[in-house]
Amino acid sequence: MSRIVLICPGRGSYTKQTRGALDPNHPLVRRADELRAARGLPSLVSLDRDAPWDAAVQLRPDHVSPLIWLHSLLDAERAAAEHEIVAVAGNSMGWYTALTVAGALSFDDGFRLVQEMAQLQMEAPAGGQVLYPIVGEDWRLDDDRFGQVLYCEEEGVFVSIKLGGFAVIAGTDEALDDFHLPPAELGKGRYPIRLAQHGPYHTPLLAGVADKAAAQLGPLDWRAPATPLIDGTGHTHTPFVADPAALRNYTLGAQVTETYDFSASVFTALREFAPDLLYLPGPGNSLGSIVAQIGIAEGWRGLVDRDSFESMQNSPNPLVWSMRR
Amino acid sequence: MPPDRVTVVEQNLENYLATARPAAHLLASHEPVRPGSSLTAAQARALFEDQVLSRQLDMAARRLKARGVGYYTIASAGHEQNAVLGTQLRVTDPALLHYRSGGFMMARSRHLGSVTPTFDTLLSLCASRDDPIAQGRHKVWGSRPLGVPPQTSTIASHLPKAVGMAFALGRARRLGIDHDHPHDALVCCSFGDASANHATALAGINAARYAHRRGNPVPVLFVCEDNGIGISVRTPRRWINDAFSGLRHLRYFEADGELDEIWETTRLAIETCRATKGPVFLHLRTVRLWGHAGSDVETTYRELPEIEAVEDQDPLLRNARFLIERGAATPGAIATLLRTTRTRVEACEPEAAGRGHLASREGVMIPLSFDLDPDCRSKASEPIEVDARAELWRGRLPEAATAPTKRTLGAHINAALADEMLRRPEIVVFGEDVGRKGGVYYVTAGLQERFGQARVFDTLLDETTILGVAQGAAQAGLLPIPEIQYLAYLHNAIDQLRGEASSLSFFSVGQFTNPMVVRIASFAYQRGFGGHFHNDNAIAALREIPGMVVATPSRGEDAVRMLRGCLTMAKEHGRVIAFLEPIALYHEKDLHEPGDQGWLSDYPAQGEALLPGEAGVHGEGKLLFISYANGVRMCRRVARRAGLDARVLDLRWLNPLPWEAIEREASTAAAIVVVDECRASGGVADAILARLAERGYDGKLRSVRSADTFIPLGPTAPMVLVSEEEIEAAAREVTA
Repeated sequence: MSRIVLICPGRGSYTKQTRGALDPNHPLVRRADELRAARGLPSLVSLDRDAPWDAAVQLRPDHVSPLIWLHSLLDAERAAAEHEIVAVAGNSMGWYTALTVAGALSFDDGFRLVQEMAQLQMEAPAGGQVLYPIVGEDWRLDDDRFGQVLYCEEEGVFVSIKLGGFAVIAGTDEALDDFHLPPAELGKGRYPIRLAQHGPYHTPLLAGVADKAAAQLGPLDWRAPATPLIDGTGHTHTPFVADPAALRNYTLGAQVTETYDFSASVFTALREFAPDLLYLPGPGNSLGSIVAQIGIAEGWRGLVDRDSFESMQNSPNPLVWSMRR
Repeated sequence: MPPDRVTVVEQNLENYLATARPAAHLLASHEPVRPGSSLTAAQARALFEDQVLSRQLDMAARRLKARGVGYYTIASAGHEQNAVLGTQLRVTDPALLHYRSGGFMMARSRHLGSVTPTFDTLLSLCASRDDPIAQGRHKVWGSRPLGVPPQTSTIASHLPKAVGMAFALGRARRLGIDHDHPHDALVCCSFGDASANHATALAGINAARYAHRRGNPVPVLFVCEDNGIGISVRTPRRWINDAFSGLRHLRYFEADGELDEIWETTRLAIETCRATKGPVFLHLRTVRLWGHAGSDVETTYRELPEIEAVEDQDPLLRNARFLIERGAATPGAIATLLRTTRTRVEACEPEAAGRGHLASREGVMIPLSFDLDPDCRSKASEPIEVDARAELWRGRLPEAATAPTKRTLGAHINAALADEMLRRPEIVVFGEDVGRKGGVYYVTAGLQERFGQARVFDTLLDETTILGVAQGAAQAGLLPIPEIQYLAYLHNAIDQLRGEASSLSFFSVGQFTNPMVVRIASFAYQRGFGGHFHNDNAIAALREIPGMVVATPSRGEDAVRMLRGCLTMAKEHGRVIAFLEPIALYHEKDLHEPGDQGWLSDYPAQGEALLPGEAGVHGEGKLLFISYANGVRMCRRVARRAGLDARVLDLRWLNPLPWEAIEREASTAAAIVVVDECRASGGVADAILARLAERGYDGKLRSVRSADTFIPLGPTAPMVLVSEEEIEAAAREVTA
């Protein structure tokens, strides 16, 4: 049994390749589909396993968010059976999963949060997110690339997520069109990439969403978590101290309208918990390289670049464990 | 073998938890821990969590030491109630903390989400190069984001600067100088009951009372953490109360008892300090567990029953009992907290221990480097806005003076101070008698009239306070030019420059600086007047301070240029600079003959500035005199009178010495005489001769120096000082 920090993925983790993992007979899956049916929404199982792949359908926020949430929860359940989870974090909507995994919300309330936030975000003002690398092929910070995004807020767009070796920039469609980023390659990817069906999350543009969320989801039964929760500022909410009201206010306020500093949350995970493994539930393995890049930036266990990370991963004591490689 | 006290204390808490029963009624997070208390259950739990983390880090320190990878074991154990201060103070209240402040720091970290106090503390215990505040240069409590400038003080020598900062926060705001602190910020400084007796502590407390008595806002919170013992010496019972509770112009609070009582008293002390903007003394009762440090065997000076009685007062044990009995936490939850905290601290230890250390002498010394940014030169040469100058000087610019055209060193420094105060509105000038009187030599004359009492003011008669105010003012965004009236008076206070001002940048890797230019009336040659205390020529204690620039002009025009350079270095590089002004030359007019006015000079044009390394050369002869201050004038007189084929190198900078200029001039010199007017064993002559010898200088080398003595009064004074006759004799000898 290892001491692990569980890090739940956000949007973008669910793809044609990663679909199909939901076990229709699992009680949580059945319960989720009951909750979906009660809202007149299509079954998650059918979307995941049966319906033909259609990005416009499966990747619609109100479908894909609960799919990701549920998939991650099932993996988290397996992880908890095998290891000691010493803290939970998440990326962007992965925070909702983290809240549920840590017990700050019941399964039903966690579902309601992820489902209704997805629907609210569909009403958000037009805009989106752009993904852009700030590291080179060695996964070390590239000053030129970093410089491209460093002062982006002066040009009318926002840093939406600090995502390890990437910056996620968000803004209105018009502002994103006007914000020029030179072409950059990293691995097989060519950037900047406009993320399909993503809104301008984690920016002040979502202030209206946050207001509605507070009214709509404030009354959920927020609880102190049973496991430390690391939020998108790097702050830890511990079982002994966590104030449910503070968790609620953060989740429905700053988490929606301010930069989600995923990198800070992983820094905290490493520096304050020193887990044996950073444990990544599915779907997919979208955060594998991201957390590696954060580990490199931190110099954790002597990591200096991609090669040293890959050597570590091939050693008996890897740092990152992806459940869905 | 008796059990170690760390284990005993830990076991006491575990034994209590094993038998404790939860309260019948558990409090909701927002409920007060006692009816009427302002401390909620959630706040009490947060405090306790911070205290547990602090304790576990203390235990980690001993484990790391035992494994040979930790280097510091002075613990916060027993002092964890200071977490109450960490919680209640704001991050915008600067905190200057003593070494048992783990609880305070853990609690203060909670104000910012993104700091990592566990790992940061472990890194500092391991002297790691990744320690975010000092990179392993010392184990200090310090953090830029948390507003905690690092202090190394074990002797309360940080109190004067805390007072200075409290004074300066309001003064800077009054002057319109930006700083990051709100209008009701206060400055907190903590110290132990033993160091409360230290002269520097008493100077700080006295200065705060004095300043407040004069009507100045001085919102400083003195926190005396009284554990009743200083290493092995007991503090007399109620001594802190006796010494500080009855002082006028100092509000006194005593915090003792249960957590909620300490909470309320602390709250009252903080609110009083904020509301009155006056000095407040908070006497916080603590205990010291496990001895002074890891190496201290407490049983050699304390009986076991006494040690056990202290351990019964363990704040973690008391607070655990309090939380459980009040229904703010359950025994099970506390036991889980202890276990999980220990586990994660232990898990972090190997990573912190493996991070490596500063690996070279150069690496250690980076914060002390005298290297200047390339743009320092251009910044030092920036002219002052023409119209503003014209207004300041009412159309009579010092460089355009006509009757007379040339002026003395003292007059030029006076004019340069006025110009620089115009250029930099953040400059404040202060010291004994510098205000209305204009200084004992009138070097600051007229500045108070021109710039007002807020910028030019008299202090109380205490050099420790003057230099403390300078440090605090600098950290509040001002650019202080304190004056020390005589070099001899610096020595009672010099630790404020050596141990405090000059070490701040070193121990924070430049994250905190306290730039200042300390003007000091210096040196002898006052025709027998004044005796030792007005003629002191002891500079060794200044020159050996790492990273401090020591400047000394000999001529008025140089003084102006050097002052411009010094203030630019202070402003741009955060430097601490001593500016030694030769008293005997303040009003000197002549060089070779009475009435020749050869020592007067024109006021340098705007844009002319001198920086370290830039020495002066007078003449072109084969014989090289190397000197500074009064010596420069004497060498020039000797060269003329004796008809020597000589030139004089004016060092201008005593630290760092201008080595390039020295070696350049030496390379074309047939012989060298170093003329050092300071004490034979403490001046610069040894350093210069040694360097020249090591670099293979092959001409004749001599030095003339003043004697290793205090300076007598009257006609015998010249007998102990370098004389022109000695200089000439040395010159004859090397050129014979």
